[in-house]
Amino acid sequence: MDPKAWTYLVYLVLSVALTVWVARTLHKNGRIFLVDVFGGNEPLADSVNHLLVVGFYLINFGYVTLALKLSIPVESVPQSIEALSQKVGAVLLVLGGMHFFNLYVFSRMRRKVVLAAAPPPFLPDACLTR
Amino acid sequence: MNQLTVLYDPRCTLCRSARDFLSKEESYVPIVLVAAGSETARQRFPGLDHAATLSTLTVIDDRGNVWKDDAAFVTCLWALRRYREWSLRLATPAFRPHIRTFFHWFSENRHRLSSFVPQALMPSQEASR
Repeated sequence: MDPKAWTYLVYLVLSVALTVWVARTLHKNGRIFLVDVFGGNEPLADSVNHLLVVGFYLINFGYVTLALKLSIPVESVPQSIEALSQKVGAVLLVLGGMHFFNLYVFSRMRRKVVLAAAPPPFLPDACLTR
Repeated sequence: MNQLTVLYDPRCTLCRSARDFLSKEESYVPIVLVAAGSETARQRFPGLDHAATLSTLTVIDDRGNVWKDDAAFVTCLWALRRYREWSLRLATPAFRPHIRTFFHWFSENRHRLSSFVPQALMPSQEASR
């Protein structure tokens, strides 16, 4: 197998492993947010959590696949490492972006619930007896 | 809380604008707007000092809790979907003194400030709901 094919293979293995790791982290740690957002409705939280992770996988694998093709020649190990670092670096940035986007979505959902349940900020000045 | 009654000053243009604004905004709690000192207000809240409600903003919830002044203003914001987050922020110790100063100044000068409202933007005398 020529160096370029090896580079592709290593790129795919690394990218898939990284994506799976980030997705699992999100899945595991995002659950508690969602349970809170949905007022303790665990089956609904699990379902939304699963759907979010599926979307996360689709976008990341889509990017990994589209970004596969190398436009620079790869004929030696150093060139291969250079190409890999470029590609994997881009995948990491996309993953980071997606991760923060997910966090943003979680915190927005939670904020809405917290706001809806917030009591009046001030205690009443008086109380009318009826 | 299931309802918030806002007693607005019907003699002041800016207060009527605020009433129209409150009636149009989406709220977490249904808002009922009643002219302060009116017969409706007297009938609904017999235990309230109605002369005082004409000088300062007063809001009352369905359990009889009364908020006055800047606390009433912030409670109105709290009832609105778009402004609840702001109301919680304004209630923090960092903002509270400023909002109190601003609201007192506004409340005392509301009739004078009303004269600056252009004729085209004048709200109607009648309640919009």
